[in-house]
Amino acid sequence: MAEIQLRNIGKRWGGFVGVENFDLTIADKEFLVLLGPSGCGKTTTMRMIAGLEDATEGEIVIDGKVVNDLDPKERDVAMVFQSYALYPNKTVYENIRFPLKVRRIDPSTHDERVRRASAMVELDDFLHRRPAELSGGQRQRVALARAIVREPNVFLMDEPLSNLDAKLRVSTRAQIKNLSHELAVTTIYVTHDQVEAMTLADRVVIMKQGVVQQVGTPFEIYDRPANTFVAGFIGNPAMNLIEGDISKSAFRAENVEILGLSVPDKKCVLGFRAEDASVVASGGQINAPIYTMELLGDSTMVSVRIGGALVSVKADKGYRAEIGDVVSISVPTEQCHLFDADTGERIDSRGQN
Amino acid sequence: MATASENRMTPGKIIAFSLVGLWLVIAAFPFLWTFWGSFKVQADFFSKADWTNAIWGTNTIAETGSAYTGQGYFGAWITEEFWQNVINSGIVVFFTVVISLTFGTLGGYALARSGFRYAFWLLMAALVFRAMPHITLVSGYLLPFFEWNIWGHLPTTIIVLVAINQPFTLWMLHSFFLNIPKDMDESAMVDGCTRFQAFWHVIVPVMWPGVITTGLFSFLLAYNDFTVTAMLLSAENETIIPAINSFLGTTQVEGKVMYAVAAVVSATAPLFVLILFFQRQIVSGLTAGAVKG
Repeated sequence: MAEIQLRNIGKRWGGFVGVENFDLTIADKEFLVLLGPSGCGKTTTMRMIAGLEDATEGEIVIDGKVVNDLDPKERDVAMVFQSYALYPNKTVYENIRFPLKVRRIDPSTHDERVRRASAMVELDDFLHRRPAELSGGQRQRVALARAIVREPNVFLMDEPLSNLDAKLRVSTRAQIKNLSHELAVTTIYVTHDQVEAMTLADRVVIMKQGVVQQVGTPFEIYDRPANTFVAGFIGNPAMNLIEGDISKSAFRAENVEILGLSVPDKKCVLGFRAEDASVVASGGQINAPIYTMELLGDSTMVSVRIGGALVSVKADKGYRAEIGDVVSISVPTEQCHLFDADTGERIDSRGQN
Repeated sequence: MATASENRMTPGKIIAFSLVGLWLVIAAFPFLWTFWGSFKVQADFFSKADWTNAIWGTNTIAETGSAYTGQGYFGAWITEEFWQNVINSGIVVFFTVVISLTFGTLGGYALARSGFRYAFWLLMAALVFRAMPHITLVSGYLLPFFEWNIWGHLPTTIIVLVAINQPFTLWMLHSFFLNIPKDMDESAMVDGCTRFQAFWHVIVPVMWPGVITTGLFSFLLAYNDFTVTAMLLSAENETIIPAINSFLGTTQVEGKVMYAVAAVVSATAPLFVLILFFQRQIVSGLTAGAVKG
């Protein structure tokens, strides 16, 4: 069991900054998800923890021991690769057994451990096959079994679900969640899919261009995004963001007037989620012609354009209107988030907790 | 399963098959001709009077009483001790292939996994050396080899052949290694391997087709080489190809040239066997990377 401390680690290639000043302590048995768009440094961070990439700055501490200069094999981590990286010439059984074999673990225990690991991921019937004879989901489970067979200190998973089709992804996600709960091992999971992050994580780290944007539980990240990047990244649809001005506690933009925001006067960005607002007959804070309507089955998404940005609101599934009709949208003041127009940082105002 | 429409002969198919058949005859003719002629006497195979003698063996019957004779083979293998040349060739080929492959796999792997710019320039330099005529290496080496008194020995030739062959094996194996995802070594290293164990237990087993293909090309280079072996080997250490050349150079003695013909057939036979035996690996090696696996 292991706690991982990342002390201001960074990675540069010449002038290019891959990861900057990553400082975080990951608690024992925690499920941490690194989330961000591609190229944000999340995989690099994980590879530095695995020892596949040298950190150019800072210290990596696993279980109280600085591991910067240790080879991957000495760090007692197990990793699931995006491509699975199974050994094509070995059977499933030999693939799972390989870590035990190269680490010279008592051979008499191998069979039992391989079978326990394969049972956990429901692979018992495929042990004699080669990876080429397996489906994508089965290969993925072999990679998982190979990681858990050794009972390592830390699990690292690099986008393990991204090569699976949508349906399989949901069931495998559930399986990973269940496995991590059962094994209670510190897990670091890299993904660009916010749904995976929200469903799996104890804590989520959101990164952008090598810099950590916010660290928090899925709830915190959803309810109190630290800046406009996080607000625009998390949620489906992402949070509506409107640029405008605050004066005398009122936010104003084209077709928008929201009162009761007690923050100092300045230019800022106002955000709210589609499901927090509603379409009203009249008297809403936003009044604008409908840009598009999307039927989602359980609801109808009504969008208007404000200053170039698309603003969406969830309406009742029975709601019908024509494109171009003026719609009135009510936004509860306490559900509004304000961000600095220049830095994008969150501005805390009264009426929020 | 063949359906009726696939079995039906259309004019297009007939033309295609006859073209293939014609090509086969043209391509195989020199080999078949030599093979057939190797069982005749010189007066038949090199008949000035009537070329059909080579087919029917008129003089062979007159000289030996049978249409087929093993004189050429007997003369080459027993009288001229061609077996000694075969052993020499075996030694040269074996060590050239083994040394080339050892350095080639290690070097190709290192170059394929290296992130440094100099890897590219090393490969470029290798290409330049590959492009040089073999004779340039030999002419440069001849004098020092005489002075150090190592001329004429098999190990000297092996070293020069390895030097000629190495750029090619490096390139070939390098591109095979590039086709093996980096994830595989990294996965092995996280699983508990050192860099070398990852190479040996995980990468090399996947690499076999590439190693075999490259090994075969190295084999052919060493086996068929004439420039280096003819210049660097003393008469008693000659390999097959220069030996055949010296048989051909002794046409004054009746029948000697048939030794060369018999030796040529003897030298070709193992190649056929080899290629038939390894053809699956060679094909999968040559097409590796063409189809994503």
